[in-house]
Amino acid sequence: MAKAESYSVPQSNVWERLKTFINAELINILAAILFLLLAIFLLYPILAVLIKSIRDPQGLTFAYYLKFFTKGYYFQSLQNTLLLGFINTVICLVVGFCLAYLTTRGPLVLRKPLKIISMMPLIAPPYLFAISLIILFGRNGILTKAFALNWSIYGFTGVVVAQTLAFIPLAYLMIENTLMSLNPNLEESAYDLGASEGRIIRTITIPLLTPGILKAGLLVFVMTIAEFGNAAILGGRTPFLAPDTYTMIIGEADFEMGSVLSVILIIPCIIIFFLHNYLLTGKKFTTIGGKPVASEPRKMTPLVKIPFLVIGFTAVFAIFISFGVVLMASFTKILGVKNEIVFSHILNFDSNRAIYNSIQVSLIAALIGAIIGTLLAYVIVRGKFFGRTFIEMVSLSGFALPGTVIGIGYLLAFNTPPFKLTGGIMILALNCVFRFLAVGVEAGISKLHQINIEIEEASSDLGANFMTTFYKIILPIMFPAFIAGFIYTFMTAIVSLSAVVFLVSPGFELAAVKIFDAAVYGEIGLASATTMKLVAIVVLCMMILNYLTKKTGFDITQKKGV
Amino acid sequence: MTIPTPIPMLNLIEIHKFYDRLEVLKGVSMEVKKGELVTFVGPSGCGKTTLLRIIGGFTNLDSGEVILDGQRIDHLPPNLRDTRICFQNYALFPHMTVADNIGYGLKIKKWKKNKIQERVEELLKLVQLEGLGSRMIDKLSGGQQQRVALARALSLEPKVLLLDEPLSNLDANLRLTMRGEIRKLQERLKITTIFVTHDQFEAMSISDRIVVMKEGVIQQVGSPIEIYERPSNEFIASFVGFVNFLEGVVERVDIGLNKATASTPIGVVQFVPERNINVGEKVKLVIRPETIQISQSEPTGMNNIFQGEVEIGMYVGSLAKYTVMINGEKFIIDQPNPRETFFKPKEKVYLSIPENIHLLIKTEIHQ
Repeated sequence: MAKAESYSVPQSNVWERLKTFINAELINILAAILFLLLAIFLLYPILAVLIKSIRDPQGLTFAYYLKFFTKGYYFQSLQNTLLLGFINTVICLVVGFCLAYLTTRGPLVLRKPLKIISMMPLIAPPYLFAISLIILFGRNGILTKAFALNWSIYGFTGVVVAQTLAFIPLAYLMIENTLMSLNPNLEESAYDLGASEGRIIRTITIPLLTPGILKAGLLVFVMTIAEFGNAAILGGRTPFLAPDTYTMIIGEADFEMGSVLSVILIIPCIIIFFLHNYLLTGKKFTTIGGKPVASEPRKMTPLVKIPFLVIGFTAVFAIFISFGVVLMASFTKILGVKNEIVFSHILNFDSNRAIYNSIQVSLIAALIGAIIGTLLAYVIVRGKFFGRTFIEMVSLSGFALPGTVIGIGYLLAFNTPPFKLTGGIMILALNCVFRFLAVGVEAGISKLHQINIEIEEASSDLGANFMTTFYKIILPIMFPAFIAGFIYTFMTAIVSLSAVVFLVSPGFELAAVKIFDAAVYGEIGLASATTMKLVAIVVLCMMILNYLTKKTGFDITQKKGV
Repeated sequence: MTIPTPIPMLNLIEIHKFYDRLEVLKGVSMEVKKGELVTFVGPSGCGKTTLLRIIGGFTNLDSGEVILDGQRIDHLPPNLRDTRICFQNYALFPHMTVADNIGYGLKIKKWKKNKIQERVEELLKLVQLEGLGSRMIDKLSGGQQQRVALARALSLEPKVLLLDEPLSNLDANLRLTMRGEIRKLQERLKITTIFVTHDQFEAMSISDRIVVMKEGVIQQVGSPIEIYERPSNEFIASFVGFVNFLEGVVERVDIGLNKATASTPIGVVQFVPERNINVGEKVKLVIRPETIQISQSEPTGMNNIFQGEVEIGMYVGSLAKYTVMINGEKFIIDQPNPRETFFKPKEKVYLSIPENIHLLIKTEIHQ
């Protein structure tokens, strides 16, 4: 449509022709600028890590990789990480399935409470569960002392439990989504043909959900192996890749080995990102349309109901207790040791300053992120230039990349001119922008898919040039997506730890890093109080989102498992 | 009206169903005889699908009984009932082949492998899909999927077959073909069948008996002819085909001569009183468009001749449809074989209304 205007270019002065050119090519110019930004702030840092891992003063070398695979400790770290990912994924999928089945097929009275508690971890930073486990099972833990337990929560098991609790909602939401989109008549048909509930689940429900379950599994796996906080706080002497890179860089200033660990960590993530995006698209079972029938509640057979309830309730109970103890610890001197109510943790000056800093950084990140995300979405959906899918892929890749890797990448890439950013507030904000870009882009894309391109065409048909159409039509329509991108980026940025932990400078501490430090040094009250403040901020954001969703009618809360 | 039979195959007794506070079935009772094809028809929201789902066991009833072949089944889950359903969207298992779909229920009943194979072949032949057993579902056309769904529902030889708008996903021509085939199959197997549709003509053409429902209440149960020619109220009269309503007051009733007259806005109309009516009673005459004769010259030796003016004439080929005004009353008339005499607007015509008119009394008329 924009092209058609160049048809009637009048032979006039240079300014007029330039204006026409810009109007016709604006979307391409925009795409070029956006791509440049992605290249600088996403591709370049990753490349910097890659280069760092294969270069020494003499030139190309694979010595560091050799060291990785020959030295038992590093290899152990890789093994642990993958094993953790695998175990975690399996548990999350099983629990997620049970919960999703219960909230879509189970007893009506249980559906809502189960759903709400299952999703509670979404409003908390993942490391909340590490803190709660320390409160319960740590050296001075409530349960450790009550039952005189002599095992330590620090190590593999502790990390598995914390990670599982943190990522249950991810698995749950994705499986619930596919369960709800499953035509209920399919299960009813099997029922009608004589199948018992167990048999229906085995022969109909699970086979049909396989693509969805696989997708959820891949996502949980990536999230788990990349997650930094829980493994760093609870890992103890058990090595995992993500926290090891941190020790390597911050503790030993060994950038080369840190980069190697990052590259090793990134490989499974990239493989899975591609699997997730390309192999599984289109693998959906299609059925003849008809009126969509709501799933009618039916009695679950005890043989299915009891195990599902046991698994579901255990998970939900653990989540609930975790929140409970962290909340209690925020207002207690030392929960389990000195149970006096205090407000010193909540009012702690350092904690509040860190929160203030985090808000500042996250607001900047949210603003830039929402703008870039909205523009990217527009360019991706409406653009017709070469490399469009590549831009889409890159802009969505941020969330698949482990935060630690991007953190190191920024440290390496922006430490020297021309891009000297380290030590400032901008590097923290930009890091969050490009890591969480996927959220804004997804929101924008889904909004754009809802509006017909003919609306824009009608505008140009009525005589508007591209600029006018953009300001008068596109921007107003995209506004809800912009807001969604803004709030989501803010919410994710404010709790994120794994990347910024490399980038904070002394004297400018962020809340997430403050919590991490406090948890590591055993200041559980402070860690808990700061965590609860973050939870409160996230809840507030969610309420705003909810309100806006109701007001605009555009479901900005739907997102792809981020 | 209905001839009593020893035991009905299916007996529905006073079925009530609420969704929240909304009563979607308000005490529905009826019987279905063995080997009969009964259609539930009515506008959307009338409760026909809910009733079908209650029979199948997918929806619980709030009160009432479902009795299948003499045994109460309303407390049983679908897998323990001897009814099989065909859903509107077929609900074929997309991850299985045609044969696996058809054999699903047999496998659950622990049939031997070769027995299942035999039975599946037999069913494929029955629905004319020989040789397609190894196909995946998404490689079938809509009509073929419909046949697979039918074969699957028939696999266990149910006592009652439930069909929920089975033809609504097919295009018009295929719908006609499949309609005929389902009826043929049903008559051949003599299987008791309940067919749900919102399409009156589909209901008319396939059924032994039709159950017309509205707002959770059965309006009338009868053969297609009864439903069409002797609708029991205004809703049914206008639900099945087009109808001219003519309001009137009974003027004279002569039981001996089997004659009656009513005064109407277009004049006095003579009719055969098919039921007991009293002088002075308000009635509504139900006059189908195809029963009125239209002509240029005044027919002689007949009653109920009225002169009117053509307002609209539409030539549809097999017939012509007219709107004719008589004394400010609008009449729709179907004229068969209009080749020779097609009337144009403003033309004066004579209408002859038959004397065996169905009429509705006060309680059957909408206020």
